[in-house]
Formats: sequence, structure tokens, C-alpha cells
Amino acid sequence: MNQECLLAAALSAVPRLGTRRLGAMLGVQTPSRAIEMLGCEAPSRTDIELMAAKLAKGSMSVTYIGANDYPQMLLNDVARPAVLFYRGDLQVLQQRRVGIVGTRSATAAGRYMASHLAYDLSEQGVAIVSGLARGVDAWAHKGVLLALDREGVSASESHCGQPIAVVASGLDMTYPKENADLWRFVAENGLLLTESPPGTMPEAFRFPLRNRILAALCELVVVIESHAKGGSMITVEEAQRRDITVMAVPGSPRSLSSAGTNLLLQQGCAPVVDATDVMVALGLDNRRNHPQVFDSRRTPSLQDQALIAHMRGEAVTLDQLLMRASTDLVQTALALGRLESEGWVVNNAGWWEVLGMGCQ
Amino acid sequence: MAFASVRSSTLLGVQGKEVDVEIHVGMGLPGFTIVGQPDEACRESRDRVRAALLSCDLPWPNRRITVNLATSVHERKGGAGLDVAIAIGLLIVQDVLPNEVGERFAFISELGLDGTLRPVAGVVPLVAAIDDRVVVVAQECEREARIAARNEVVCAQTLAHVVKCLMGEAQWTPAQPRGVIGAAPPTADMKDVRGQAVARQALEIAAAGAHHLLLVGPPGAGKSMLAQRMSSILPPLSNEEAVATTIIHSAAQSPLPPSGIITLPPLRAPHHSTSLVAMVGGGSTTMRPGEISLATNGVLFLDELGEFAPTVLDALRQPLEDGVVRLARAKSSVTMPAKFLLVAATNPCPCGEGMPGVCVCDDSAKKRYLRRFSGPLLDRFDLRVAVSRPHVDELLADTPAESSQVIAMRVLRVRQLAMLRSGCLNSALSADLLDEFAPLTTDAAALLRYHLERGRLSGRGYHRIRRVARTIADLLSTSDHSTDQIDESHIATALALRVGVHPQLNGDKL
Repeated sequence: MNQECLLAAALSAVPRLGTRRLGAMLGVQTPSRAIEMLGCEAPSRTDIELMAAKLAKGSMSVTYIGANDYPQMLLNDVARPAVLFYRGDLQVLQQRRVGIVGTRSATAAGRYMASHLAYDLSEQGVAIVSGLARGVDAWAHKGVLLALDREGVSASESHCGQPIAVVASGLDMTYPKENADLWRFVAENGLLLTESPPGTMPEAFRFPLRNRILAALCELVVVIESHAKGGSMITVEEAQRRDITVMAVPGSPRSLSSAGTNLLLQQGCAPVVDATDVMVALGLDNRRNHPQVFDSRRTPSLQDQALIAHMRGEAVTLDQLLMRASTDLVQTALALGRLESEGWVVNNAGWWEVLGMGCQ
Repeated sequence: MAFASVRSSTLLGVQGKEVDVEIHVGMGLPGFTIVGQPDEACRESRDRVRAALLSCDLPWPNRRITVNLATSVHERKGGAGLDVAIAIGLLIVQDVLPNEVGERFAFISELGLDGTLRPVAGVVPLVAAIDDRVVVVAQECEREARIAARNEVVCAQTLAHVVKCLMGEAQWTPAQPRGVIGAAPPTADMKDVRGQAVARQALEIAAAGAHHLLLVGPPGAGKSMLAQRMSSILPPLSNEEAVATTIIHSAAQSPLPPSGIITLPPLRAPHHSTSLVAMVGGGSTTMRPGEISLATNGVLFLDELGEFAPTVLDALRQPLEDGVVRLARAKSSVTMPAKFLLVAATNPCPCGEGMPGVCVCDDSAKKRYLRRFSGPLLDRFDLRVAVSRPHVDELLADTPAESSQVIAMRVLRVRQLAMLRSGCLNSALSADLLDEFAPLTTDAAALLRYHLERGRLSGRGYHRIRRVARTIADLLSTSDHSTDQIDESHIATALALRVGVHPQLNGDKL
């Protein structure tokens, strides 16, 4: 590794040396010069050796404000990170980039939307930026995973959009643990990025800070589902500060998980119903190479479609469904069994949800 | 005469054991010792017996008194029910009473210091244990005592009264007229439950087939209200069941109805802070029956299932399978009945809402919450039903819903049908009996196969679904001897009433 990069990494781990001060220093001089200037605050030789060992162990690369490969879109940012640790390839940032963000407690419909949107966009060569949190973030990257999988060639040769993830903790501190596989997938097929030095715990205050980098890396941010307050809304604010387009997926006005997105729509954000909306907003015309929409699910009978219509796009219990459809338990159970086996509805701990808007 | 032997009995678990109280009075320094592993209450009877004899102007031997509690097995004897037997033995030794009193009578009662006879815990099993002797009990527990008595039961008020009766100078207190049997019907009725069509059906199915039921829903949805009405739709107890249930309740000193015998299925709803011993039973000497035994032939309702200690919940697993609980301690081991219908209620997640889109818990918080009840326990619930808050229109409707009485008729019909067909309730059908009494149509088998292949059903779950489907088919059928096949609709209904409690993350086909 480049000695200057190593010194920049060691500098970022100095306590009480914030990213703003470090950014100001590295903006005008090299890391080695910055270390000389710091005097007694400067990282010791042992610190630097330790950092080198950590970076090598986690196969992490480093870039900093003065470096040649520092991402262009962050260079002029209002709160640019001084040093970035990454795994993967910075060239991925040359692709068109769309952020997909949302709540951690997503509904089944939200998860479905996140993964399908990410899949479709990735197929069109758009890179998906997300935060690798639980819920929507994870499902967006699962969509990319599937798109790359279907392609069957290595990520660098594929024409699919690649995954980009901005995380809050150090790259060696996988959080949440259940996303460890996705974490590895993103690092191997795209770009996994953080401003936190290795060993940094996923402390709560780091997530809003992470969101500013996430927003800055996107050309456009799509919010799938969000409560009226929460991490996704912080990403939205950061995006709006930077004049980055924010789009939102409409949801039931009765669902709290869609309160944030519906609020955004009310304020004038453009709605997203499928990938085409996003493609048009990016200025990409995909009408000619429109992907063949293939839904393997068999179209339900008219009677079953009526049942889906009674669900009104929200989560319902069997009880509510019986009352709305005024059918008896046995017939409804049969219909739900049919719909579930075809993948039209899913039972989530007692609540039935519709997947995909296809037959409504 | 220096020796006498008088019959009484002590309690272990829910069973009485005959005890021969042997009394020896001999030369030596005046003293009174009780041997034969008495417990503290037993040992205290020295002072009670002496005070009672003196209060009744009966003689007290100022010599060395030794009392031995002899049983066929060596175990600790508990309780104060031996007081009168000891007192009578002392009187026989002093020739106040003839020797044959010990051969004709047995005594089960505690003594007050003034010589009154006091009722003791577990009179029903204690009296049931006495063979070929007339049993003397306190007047207050005479009704209870007659429930399972094998011989004549007489009662008296004081020790002096007992002595007079034994000498033929007075009459035993006459038996009181029996209270009305089959006392007041339960006050909680299903007609008070508005809406909740699915939960009502689930309750009916659970009652008809004796299937364990889990209600999942937000606070205020009516889970507890529904569960408390479970016992009102169960058929009344048969005679044997009534006696068995009364014995357990008597042994646990749980209050009995005015008629003295429990004829309606009991409903036990222990609080979630209940300890392990209180739940399954135990204790050092008497082995008091726990809540699961008290719920025998009735309903055990566990509200806020997730708040119970995990050890308490896991202790339910073996009794749920076997219908009895076997407790072993260093000095004794007992088997107590524990054949109950388990009804439990829980919130779906920490915030209580559960409904996707409204719930604010993330998946890991839900998982943590649901980890409190172990998978094996969850798997034992045949019916797992989501309960939602009733619609306003339903709450305000003035037409009362179906009453418990009507539902209980259907439940009774299905239970009789099942007993005639297979000799057991549907939930007790074993795997081989299922093939015989609940054959599947091709469609039904295909549906089950689909769910098994996707890993939604365990092997145990597969059989449970088939049993529930049998009950559903019975409830829907109109004929009186149904051995018809289980079709797809029955299986689909059973599956719809057994939802996965864990949030499903791989719901879509991606």
C-alpha cells in the first residue's frame, strides 16, 4: 500500500481529530506533512504499524482527499469525509448510481418492492447504493445479488449495475451480523465503503453521518418505505441539501411504514411505481430495450383476484378479510392457500400481505 | 393396656395414604415423642392434643408417651390430620374407650386447643384412602368427605362429642342436605364477544378436539376475554372426571363449589410470575399439586405467554405430551394428573401491534421477543390464531353473538362422535390411527406435501394439522358416524388457523 494512504488511515484514527479538521489539513497538504504539523498529537510509529496490519488483514484500501482516486462527487461536498476505507473497486462509482433506502421494519410489500426495483435497475446497468442495514437496505442488495447471479458472469464483465454500500462501522465490524453474507457479496462484486477506521463499533451517532456520504454518492435517492422520522428521512434531508433528486414509493395511508414516503410525495417528490420511473428520472431512455416482464406466477382466478382486491394493498388478518369479503372461513382459507402457493400473498405472523401490484 | 393403634391417613401429591397411628404409654419420665418421620405440623400435634384433652376434661397420662406413624413405605408424613387419631389412641390406652374403636373407626381431623374438630386440606383423597372403617371428620368438611368415600362417613363437632358418640352416649351430627349439584352456569358467556369470527371458530375447534390454542394479537384485541370463555363451551365433567378433579382441588386446598364437587371444567389462569413449583407442583413433604394438575379436565390459560420464565414454560412440555406429571424428590416421588387444554395469549412483538406497516419493531427485536417461547412449545399448539381488534361496527352491534350454550352443544356432539369412532378425542389420535380415521384425499395430501416441502411444517406439525382437520371436518359434517375423508378445504382451514408466529423473511419468490 501507498505510504501516504497508510499515513492518512493512521491520521483518521487519531482521537479528537475530527473529519472536518483532518479534511482541512489534507485538502492542502500531504498526510506525511500533516503528521509533522500535528506534533505530539500525531500517531506514533506503533500506531501506524498497527493500522497497516489491520488494513492488510481486512484487505482494505484507503483513499483520502488529496489522493488521485478520491471520488469526484465527494470532493466538492459540503461535509466531505477526509479519509475513506473501502473494499472492492472505486471504478464502480463511474456507473449511474441510484440509492435505495428505507425502514428497518419493512412490510413484506416493501421488501418485495426494494428487491424488485434493485433487480430491474441493476439489469439496466444502474449501480445500487444502500446502507446494508436490516429491512429495505438489505433487500435492495439482495435484488442486485440476484441480477448478477442471473447474468452468470463475473461482476466486472457484467453489464449489470453493481452494488455500492456505505456502512457506519469499521469494515471489520460486520453489523448487523445477519447481513454478513451480503457484506461480503458487496465487497467482492462492487464497493463497500466507510469513513470509520477499522475496529470502529457501530455506534448510533455514526449512522446519520454515514447517511450524508450515502446521499452524496447517489445521483438519485428512492425511498421505499419510511416512518415519518428515522434514518431514511435523514438520508433524504442530506440528499436535498445537495440538490439530489429524491423519489418515493407510495404506500397505504394507513400504514405507518409508509408515513414518511407519503409525506415526501405530499411535499412534491416524484412517485416511483417501477424501475421505468427511475430510468426516466435519470434521463435514461429504456423504452427500446424494455426488459421482458416475466412473472412466473399464474394469474389468479377472478374469485381470488376479488379476494386480493379486498386486501386493499395493506396487511390484513383473516378476521378482517372474512368481514370484507363476507365469505366463510373455509372458502377464504382455500383461496389464501392457492394464492400463497403461487406467491401472490404471504402470511407474516398472522397478517396476510399482497406481493406485487400485478393483478390489482 | 399400654398400646393402641388407630387408623388415619396422610397426603402425598393428590393421593391419600393410610397411616396406623401407634401409641405406647409406659414407665419413664413424662414426655411425648412422635416418631416415623413426622413433619413440623405433625410434631406440633403434641401440644394441640394435650390441650384438647385437658379442655374436654379427658384424662392425660402423665407418663412416657411414644407415637409411631406406621405406613407400608418409609416416607415423611405431613399435615395436622392425625391429631384426633392420636387423641383417641391415648384414650384407648387409658381405657376410656374400648380397644375395638381402633379397629372400627378412622379419624381425619385437626384439633383446636379447645377440642373442636377442624377441617384439614385434602379431605377428599384422605377419606378415599381409608378402607373398611367408618371415617370420622370435622363437620365443616363432611360434604367433601363423602365425595370419594368408600365407607360410611360421620362427623362431629368436638373431641368430647366424638368420645360420647364412640361410647354410644350421643348421636353423630346428622348429615346436612346436599347442595344442588351442577351449580350456577359460568358467568362468562361467548355471546359477549363481538366480532372475532376466526377466533370464535378456533375456540370451538379447540374445545371440540381438545387442541391447544395460541392467540396472538395486539393489546385490547380481546385475547383474554376469549380465553376466559373457553371453559364455558366445554361439556360438563363426567362423574369420574368430576371426582378426580375434586380430589386434586381438595388436595391443593383450592376452594370447592357449594355442592362440594366440581362438575364444570375448571379454568386456571396463573399469573406470569408463577414459579416452576407452583406450576407443575411439588414441595418437600406434601407434594402439593401445581396449576397444571388443578387445570386437569379443564383449561390452563397462560396470558402474556412471553412473560413467563422460560424454565416454567419448558416444564409444560412433558405433561402436555403425557397427560400426567411425574415429580421426584429425594424422599418421595409422585405422579399427578395433568391433562389440560392449554390456551395461551401473547403479543406478536414488543410494541404489541404486530401488524406490518404499523409495528415499529425491527425483525431482530421481533425475533428476540419470540425467542422467549421455545420452538418445541410453539409446535405443541395445534391452533395459532391472529386476533385483531374488532371493527367498530361489530363492537357497537346490538345483535348478541352466538351463546356458549349453542356452541357447547356442537362441541359435545363432535366429542361424542370422536369417542365413538376412535375411543379418544381427535387431538389424541396417534399417527397410525390418523391414517385409519382421517384419510386424506389426493388434493389434501398434495397441499400438505407442498407445505412440508417448503419447510413450513415439521413432522409433528404435519400430524397436528391432520388432527385439527379431522375436528374441522367433524364440525362441518352433519352425519352422526363420520369417517369421511379429509379434503383440501379442511386442511387449508387448519393451515390458516395455524399461522407461523415468526416473521417470514423469505416471503417472496426472489
